[in-house]
This record gives sequence, C-alpha cells and structure tokens, in this order.
Amino acid sequence: MSGRILDVNGRKVWLLENGGGAPLLYLHGFADVHAVKESWLPFHDLLAKNSRVIAPAHPGCAQSDENKDIDTIEDVVFHYLEVIDALKLDKFDLVGHCLGGWIAAELAARHPEKIRKMVLIGASGLFVEGALIGDIFMNAQPEFGSSYATLREMLFASANQVNALAMFPDGKGEIEDEVRRYQMLRLSSRIGFKPPYFYNRPLRNRLHRISSPALVICGEKDGFVPRSHGETYAKLIPNSGELKVIAGAGHSAHVEKPEKTAMLVTEFLAK
Amino acid sequence: MQPVQLFCWHFMAYPYLDKDFDKSGHSGWVTVPNKLWDNNRARGLYQEYIDQLALADRLGFDGMVLNEHHQNIYGLMPSPNIIASALTQCTARGKIVVLGNLLPLHMNPMRVAEEYAMLDQMSNGRLIAGFAPGGGPETFNYDVPSANTREKFWEAADLIVRSWTDEGPFTHEGRYFPLRYVNLWPKPLQKPYPPVWIPGSRSPSTMIEVAKRGYCYFLSSRSHGGETHRAQQEFAKVLEDHGDKYHPFRFGILMSTYVAETDQQARAECEEGVWYFLKNCLKGHLRKEGRQLTYGPGVPYIPAAAWREYMKGYQPGRKLLGDVENWEELEASQSIIVGSPETVARRIGALIERAKVGNLLIQFQLGNMPDQLARKSMKLFAEKVAPVLRQDSAKQFTSEFPGINIEPSAQAVQ
Repeated sequence: MSGRILDVNGRKVWLLENGGGAPLLYLHGFADVHAVKESWLPFHDLLAKNSRVIAPAHPGCAQSDENKDIDTIEDVVFHYLEVIDALKLDKFDLVGHCLGGWIAAELAARHPEKIRKMVLIGASGLFVEGALIGDIFMNAQPEFGSSYATLREMLFASANQVNALAMFPDGKGEIEDEVRRYQMLRLSSRIGFKPPYFYNRPLRNRLHRISSPALVICGEKDGFVPRSHGETYAKLIPNSGELKVIAGAGHSAHVEKPEKTAMLVTEFLAK
Repeated sequence: MQPVQLFCWHFMAYPYLDKDFDKSGHSGWVTVPNKLWDNNRARGLYQEYIDQLALADRLGFDGMVLNEHHQNIYGLMPSPNIIASALTQCTARGKIVVLGNLLPLHMNPMRVAEEYAMLDQMSNGRLIAGFAPGGGPETFNYDVPSANTREKFWEAADLIVRSWTDEGPFTHEGRYFPLRYVNLWPKPLQKPYPPVWIPGSRSPSTMIEVAKRGYCYFLSSRSHGGETHRAQQEFAKVLEDHGDKYHPFRFGILMSTYVAETDQQARAECEEGVWYFLKNCLKGHLRKEGRQLTYGPGVPYIPAAAWREYMKGYQPGRKLLGDVENWEELEASQSIIVGSPETVARRIGALIERAKVGNLLIQFQLGNMPDQLARKSMKLFAEKVAPVLRQDSAKQFTSEFPGINIEPSAQAVQ
C-alpha cells in the first residue's frame, strides 16, 4: 500500500494505490477506506491481486482538501474528471460503493467512453418513488448520548456484528477515526442532504447513456439504500446483468462479505 | 453606568402533553407527532403567552425576548416576527428582542431585513435584531445542508445590515444570495441600524465574526457554571484582539428563574413546570434520552479541524441539562434559579458579578407552568429581585468599567 497526495488544479487529493494491471478507480462510501479507516479493507486487497487499485479520498475526506464550492453531485463529477486527468487515466474500471457508486454512475452517464467496466455496490443516487434512501444524518446522531446502533443498522446487516462495531463504535472511538467519519458526513451533507436525500432526480433518465458492461451488487438486507434502487440501476443500464444480491450482507457488502463480493467483481472484470 | 438589563424571555412551549409523554419514546423535536396538538386546549394559548410578555413590559423589564423554532413542543414560534408584531401593539417601553431569525432557513434574507425594518418602525425603534444560524433540529426541519450553514449565515447577516445602511438600489453579488435589486422599503427607524445580537456557544470563530462587526454576543448555553465566566473572558479577549473593549452590554446570557414568597414555596409551585420543561421540552435537544439533535456528526456544521478539537474533550454519555435526576443536580447546573426573592437575588447577583454580564435574558414560564404562577413569579421578581440586581450591578459595572459610557435606558416603572 502506498498513499500519496495528488495535485488536482491546486487542490490536494489524498489517494491510496495498490496492485498492478489494468487501472481500477475505487470511489468510497461510508463503511469504507478513507471514511472510517486509513488503510485498505480486505476487499480492496483482494481486488489489488488483479488490478491496479486507485482509491482517492473524496473532497474533504481524509487528507483531501475540502472544497467549499461543492453544492451538488455535478460539482463532484467535475472534481473527478480532473482527478482522472491528473492520474492520466485513459480508460479504466470504475467501482463505487454507496455515495461512491452514485458518483460512478454519474461519471459513466456523462463519459461512457472513459469507462471499461463499472461496478456499483449499494449505490445511492437514484430517485425511486416510494423508496427513499434512509436518513443517515439523523442516525449519525447518537441515541442515549452514545449509541450508534441505528446507524450500524443502516449500514450493516446487524447492528451488533463485529465489523460494524469496529467501524462505528458506541461512545467515542479513536479521534482520527471520528474525524474521518465526520468528514464523510460533512461532504455528504453538501450533496446528499438537499435535495433529500442522496439522489439526483435526472440521473435515472441518463443511465441509458452508459455503454460499458456493468455489475450491480447489493446486500440482502440493505437498511440504507432500498433494494429497488439496485434493481433500477440493473434494469436501466443497458449492459448490466441482473442485480446480484449478497446473502447475509447489509448495505456494506464489501465489508461484510469481502470474499464473495470481491470474487463477483474480479470475475466480472476478467470476463 | 447603567445597571444590568433584565429581559423576559418566552419560549412558548406546548404545555398540554400527557404525563406519560416521556414514556412514549417520542422526541420533543422534529418528529414529535402533531396529532398531540389539541385544539380544544390550545385555543387562547398564544394570547395567554403574549399577555405574559405584555405584563413584563408593564412591570418594567427592559425588554421581551422571542426566538424561532420549528416542529417541536419546546417553542411554538416558527415565526417570532408574528409575535413581535403583536408586541408592538400591546407594549410601550421595553425592547423587542427577536433572537433570532434563523437566516439559513430563508430563501431570501431580504424578507428578514424587511420584516425587521417593519418591526422597528411599528415599535417606534424598540427592535433588537437577532440573527441565528439555527442548530441541528432546524437542519432537519428545513433540509439545510450543514456544511455551508455558517457561510450562508454570515453572508445573509451582512447583506441585511448593508440593506439597512447603504443606499438602494444596489446589487449584491453573493455566493449564496445573489440579488440584482436590493432596495429596502421601509427602512428601520434606529440609526445607523437596530442593535444586532448573535448567539453562540463559545466557538471562537463566532466570537471573532461578532467582534469584527461590533455586535453583541449572546451565550446560548443554558447552564451557568464556570463556562459562563470563561465565555465572557474569551469574548473580552477576542474584542481586545480586534481593538475593541469589553463592557457588560456586549454580552448576554439565557437563564431561567422562579420566584415565590419562600424557598420551599417556590420549589413546590414550580416543580411540575420545571420537570415538564426538562424532560419533555429538552428531549431531543439537551437530553441524552432518545436522540439529541442539536449537535453532533449528523449535523456537521463546524469544520473538521474544529470537530477534532471538540472530540478531544468530548465525553460520550455526559449528562446534559435535561438529564438531571434530582433537584440538587438541577441547582448545581445554575440553569434554573428557584427560590425566595432573597435567594434568587443572591444567586443571580453572584452570576452577574462573576460573569460581568449586562444582558440577562430570563425565562419565567417553564414547560406547563400555569399562567397565574408565571405572572406571580414575574411580579415578585420585578418588585423584589430586579431592584437589588440593578443597584448592585450598576455599582459593580461603574467601578469595573470606568470610562465606558452606555446610553442609559428608560428607568424601570415599578
């Protein structure tokens, strides 16, 4: 693993890079590298066996500069276009989880020619009537002064499973972990709070522009992004297969079932 | 120098919740089910509360204080300007303090500039204009993205003051509220503009922004241990850094009190209202029970660096005001001062002496406190507590802040 600062038009972007082979841009979600942990998760190590995995921290996350001009997902998409240029990536695989999946879908709808293959895991971003994405902000406020059980319930199959408790402990965790979680919520509040919540209404009607093959994955018990969102992505992206549902996982399938999820991704990318 | 200014603050709580509300699991904020609103009982409630504020004016309080809240049982003033408008018609002397309008919740800050200007005209120049950014609950009420709340707030506040002072029409080329034609009609009566008060909770950045602009800083904390004194010292230091000088009327605090003939009687009479306030009104705000929405990672309005500093001292599960379990803990919080006139004068007097605070914003009606008790407490305060506080504070301020002249306010009418 190596981390470095990338200069993107005068803004600092912190990124991790690992493995060799075809480039794979990984865009993180909440229970994820940069947003709760400084280092790779087992899932990313597995991907790095076959790809050159590049994982930038979103603006304002980890050591990436905050960008106060970000108001909407559009601004994040432009940020990533510049990141892609700075990395001199021509054509690459794109994998995103949750908010990262949303950014990935927006990028792919605008620049299908840049994407070789795309994987969405528990991706937010869509408006599906009657199936709102959950309120992570209210659930990020502790209950009884110190419990994050309902937040863990949104992000994992069970609030009490070990990895959930390790990433979102009750009370107070390590200060820098607390700061990482906070930074991710702060960025999310810029783009995912208004319009409520974590969606861009026009995205749905733009998905037909995505030309790369796509794999859409969700956990069996996702308490944050309803199943119908994954189904909609899978249905409306022309080159997508059926939605793959990871048994026993919640919103964070890549954390909860890393081998299974990584195997699906690796097989799809190798096909 | 003029004595401490004593204001009567009314929050206008919803007082008709069942005794078992706390057991229902509902918060008092944002998600409190509105089927609990009972029209049969609530008819006339606003009039009762407005009459209490009108009484404060007749009793010689220096002003009446209102503020803005949404979707909660703590305060039934989504628009405090509507109550302020009523007060312009039924009060004659006291300042009308709106503390404040929550600027980031407004699509266009000019609406606040206009309504404040109207209130200043209608009240013959009695308005004190408060601007507040709103806290966590309002984030959820109005879908205000937290991360840019502060920037929006200061842009709006500066635009409003500019609209009161600069000749219009002018163009505002702002980041959040760009406006081609800013041209205020009516203008406020007070010149150069009504006094501006800004609440804060000891964050250095707010103090600095307040100091830069010469406004009055209001500490929004409800508890008054050593923190109040520290806040005063911090603000005094910030003012000095900006070439300004602290005096007691640059600073205000919020507190609650209940006064009766004796200590025992005071406690007996107010206890129900106090516990209603602590357990119901503060649930969701200053209480661990349920979910506290006021401050935390879900409403990330301070920068990450400031959050890191906050986390260093953060104690999860620490008791908040609404978590007090008995009367002794409540007394220790110095938030609600209950007792005979002598007790209350002594305790509030000590607070003023230590914190050198010139604006005391006092809540009398707490929770479901009945009208006649709130009125009795206010009268006793005005007759027996206020004169002592005024006399002692005038002496203290004159000796501690020599050479600072504040325009004297009208003498209290007893």
